[in-house]
Amino acid sequence: MIVLAIETATPACALALEVDGSVTEEVLDLERHHTEALVPGVARLLGAAGVAPGAIERVVVDRGPGLYTGLRVGIATALGLALATGADLVAVTSLEVLAAAAARAGARGELVALVDGRRGEVFAQRFSLEPLAALDAPRVLRPEALAPELAARPALLGGDGALRYREAFAGSEAIDLAVPPPSAALELSRGRDALEAVLPLYLREADAVANFSTRTRAT
Amino acid sequence: MERVLGIETSCDETAAAVVTADRATLSSVVESSIDQHRDFGGVVPELAGRAHVATIRPVVERALDEAGLDPRHPELTGIAVTAGPGLVGSLLVGLSFAKALAFAWDLPYVGVNHLEGHLFAPLLEAPELEWPLVTLLVSGGHSMIVVQRGPGDHEVLGETLDDAAGEAYDKVARWLGLGYPGGPVIDRLAREGSPASLALPRGMLGEGLDLSFSGLKTAVVRATEGRDDLPLADVAAAFQATLVEQLLRKLRAALARHDARSVALAGGVAANSALREGVTALATELGVTAHLPALAMCTDNAAMIAAAGLYRLAHGGASPLDLSARPNWDLREVA
Repeated sequence: MIVLAIETATPACALALEVDGSVTEEVLDLERHHTEALVPGVARLLGAAGVAPGAIERVVVDRGPGLYTGLRVGIATALGLALATGADLVAVTSLEVLAAAAARAGARGELVALVDGRRGEVFAQRFSLEPLAALDAPRVLRPEALAPELAARPALLGGDGALRYREAFAGSEAIDLAVPPPSAALELSRGRDALEAVLPLYLREADAVANFSTRTRAT
Repeated sequence: MERVLGIETSCDETAAAVVTADRATLSSVVESSIDQHRDFGGVVPELAGRAHVATIRPVVERALDEAGLDPRHPELTGIAVTAGPGLVGSLLVGLSFAKALAFAWDLPYVGVNHLEGHLFAPLLEAPELEWPLVTLLVSGGHSMIVVQRGPGDHEVLGETLDDAAGEAYDKVARWLGLGYPGGPVIDRLAREGSPASLALPRGMLGEGLDLSFSGLKTAVVRATEGRDDLPLADVAAAFQATLVEQLLRKLRAALARHDARSVALAGGVAANSALREGVTALATELGVTAHLPALAMCTDNAAMIAAAGLYRLAHGGASPLDLSARPNWDLREVA
């Protein structure tokens, strides 16, 4: 089985490739160069493994929540690869990948996965780690709104949202995990059904700002 | 036979097309998200970006299918994708998708300038056009006059210093409460009105070939503020006549100065009936060949991107896989 996993939900761009049970993982870039780094990275990783594009059987993609431009690059690339190679397309969320990575690293109890949502907000979801299970739905909120919940029901924190808002979450322990590892996405995706379409998980309505004045004669 | 897949996602249209080297369009698919933008009076970038992610795969699949190509092993020689100018969150959807296809199919691809794509639209429809060709490219995002001495050989003679012509239509339509987009509704109303009923200042009376529409829009607002007695049709007719007069006056000067043998319209405003009639009359008067594009070739489409890509790929222009989107890519920087 040859599986490629694409990770673009944070400023980082990362890939994992599984070839007959052996997994290679590579962080391509850390500074929002998804458009530039992703496909050359895929070409390099497959080339190094001696895998032809047409041999890819499954493409796993992180659909967020996270950086909107990153998600669009990752999903558009995954859709293109799936169309051109006939590979199955499977999606995971950034928050569940963070939880899976924490569990894989030996963390126990409950974890709140936090992805930086920009605009002073975080994307958040609570998980129990053994066995891995979501305890609520993904949501977007301000760190200061989440802090009292964490005080009332403690949990480990993981993700770049926990690192960015370290001070707001000073009472909680954060594990060292900024980028959802695509190797964890590979493991998480096993057994999931293939999809025809994948859309980013935005968790917000689009900013509907018209590109010019809204003044009219009628008003 | 060279055969290129074109992909376009620079604004609110997701488009894909397959075009051959002898300029036959085997397929051309366009999905627009314009209905989502109507209530906002203009294209909302985040809404446009979201729509592209949802439509890119089905649009490209349909374009391949209608051209009779197998998505696993398409008989293509290259891929052309709009790399700019445009909305960055929209451009990178098409660009990323195109790169994935180019890598997986092991084909060369090229990032095409959207404006150069518009310049190739007349060549697809009317290969008999003679050079030099002067093109008036007018849309919601761009307004310029360009002379071409051959395919890919273009010089920008003038462009708008402020609003694009289509943008002026949208703003005036919004001011008058006519909805979005403004072009078709103003064009329709103008047919029933009298342009002489409202005096509006003519713009850009100097020798230069640059354009300007912001002052005209402001003049319409000033002349109609608190004047509910003015028939909308008359306001529309006066605005349209003044705007088209400026375009035709600059086009006439460009044609004369560059000894043009052909004139073409391109871009969304090329659908305007007054502009089409005016260009037809101007061409007859000056003895040049006029090309008025079919309505489907006025708006953004991927056939024109494929046509520009065919030229660029044939002239050593293949792009590397690490290409960035170029939201502000100036046509003058296209080598």
